[in-house]
Amino acid sequence: MRGREFFLERYSRLGHSLTGDEVAPQAIRVNPLRAEDGEVVEALTDNGVALKKIPYLDHGYIVEHTEFSLGATLEYLLGLYSLQEAASQLPVQALAPGPEDTALDMCSAPGGKTTQMAAYMMNRGVLYAVDASRDRLYAVENSLERCGVTNCLVYHGDAKRIELGASFTKILLDAPCSGNYVTDPDWFSRRSLRDVEANAERQRRLLSRAVGLLERGGRLLYSTCSLEPEENELNVQWLLENHPVDLEPMAGPGTPVATEVFGVELDPKLSLCRRLWPGDGTQGFFMAEAVKL
Amino acid sequence: MRLLKRLLRDLNSGLSPSEDEVVRINDQYFTLTPALRDGLKNREGLVYSGRYLGRDRRLFEPSSLLLQALASEPGTRKAHVDRDTAWLFVCGRDIFHESIVAVEGELSLGSHCLVMYGGRCIGYGRYETAGDQRIIRNMFDLGALLRRET
Repeated sequence: MRGREFFLERYSRLGHSLTGDEVAPQAIRVNPLRAEDGEVVEALTDNGVALKKIPYLDHGYIVEHTEFSLGATLEYLLGLYSLQEAASQLPVQALAPGPEDTALDMCSAPGGKTTQMAAYMMNRGVLYAVDASRDRLYAVENSLERCGVTNCLVYHGDAKRIELGASFTKILLDAPCSGNYVTDPDWFSRRSLRDVEANAERQRRLLSRAVGLLERGGRLLYSTCSLEPEENELNVQWLLENHPVDLEPMAGPGTPVATEVFGVELDPKLSLCRRLWPGDGTQGFFMAEAVKL
Repeated sequence: MRLLKRLLRDLNSGLSPSEDEVVRINDQYFTLTPALRDGLKNREGLVYSGRYLGRDRRLFEPSSLLLQALASEPGTRKAHVDRDTAWLFVCGRDIFHESIVAVEGELSLGSHCLVMYGGRCIGYGRYETAGDQRIIRNMFDLGALLRRET
């Protein structure tokens, strides 16, 4: 159970006819810890980069044209902006951690969302970041330094088990997932339904742990860039059935989640979650926000 | 701490972090806000904490955060350069004296200075002679952020 036709047919059954060739434009996020939007836009525009503000993002811009790598400019090295695809800027914006929060990024690497969380927290409060891969944490450390983050404690460890001695008011679980074909040209040949199911199982363990670490009334933002319902709608259905949480309505782009998946009726509350499908100017993305009861 | 203190002295900085407020992780140095200090209940697996100052190498390798802090001090020596020179500098090149647009403080042979572009610090160097030229020898630049990842 794999291959291009198999997966495209699944997406069709979920109500979305996709070609499998959709792409997402490059995007940047201005780092308010280091610069105002106008300064970055002016500096890049003066050097021939064409940017277009993304209306639903606080600091996001589509790169319409550039003749050089935006990952190697003076402004990038100074941490004035980061490269971050449009949809992947949404989870932190939705969670909106603030200066008063004790927040956790459970699967931090490569660190784009961690630096975004620190920016929303205005470098105050306490932000914990965890990742299981030591190699990938070097990129997190680099990003924190480059972006001027000073409120973060970074741990190497398995988020399912690590003991931090803290409970949290906000948790981001941008879970390791199967990804999607927009960001991986070889995706259809590398992925099978078995992979998807294995990832879904691992994500449920992470969800359980996240709820355990949340304070009562605390908020969990669960997101993946997978298009597969096993990792998204079905996992959130499982979360509702097995943990003391309720879902919060999510605004913004994308579409409400379907409450029927492959003939299975789901909790109507699932419609509060959001899905972005490829082809609307972003990669695929899924987001759910839960509050602990 | 010895190499860090030497760098701060070389750059004419008034910063003097005490041993008590600095957290060391392997060869890296950090300072913590009171909130982070309270939140640091477990050090097992900790790889990064708070404000990163830099790390010990042959010389102290300052972080971008420390460089910006040094740049905000009025007493530190600074050499301002234009965009083209700034780009060559972050690619690891030295700076010819003629390419310096403005100087803050006294730039004498053997002295160290911050290299500034657009009001921000992109590294530091030492003012030297090279043949019959006066240059700022590149001691550290922010291009290290990219070179580290390759």
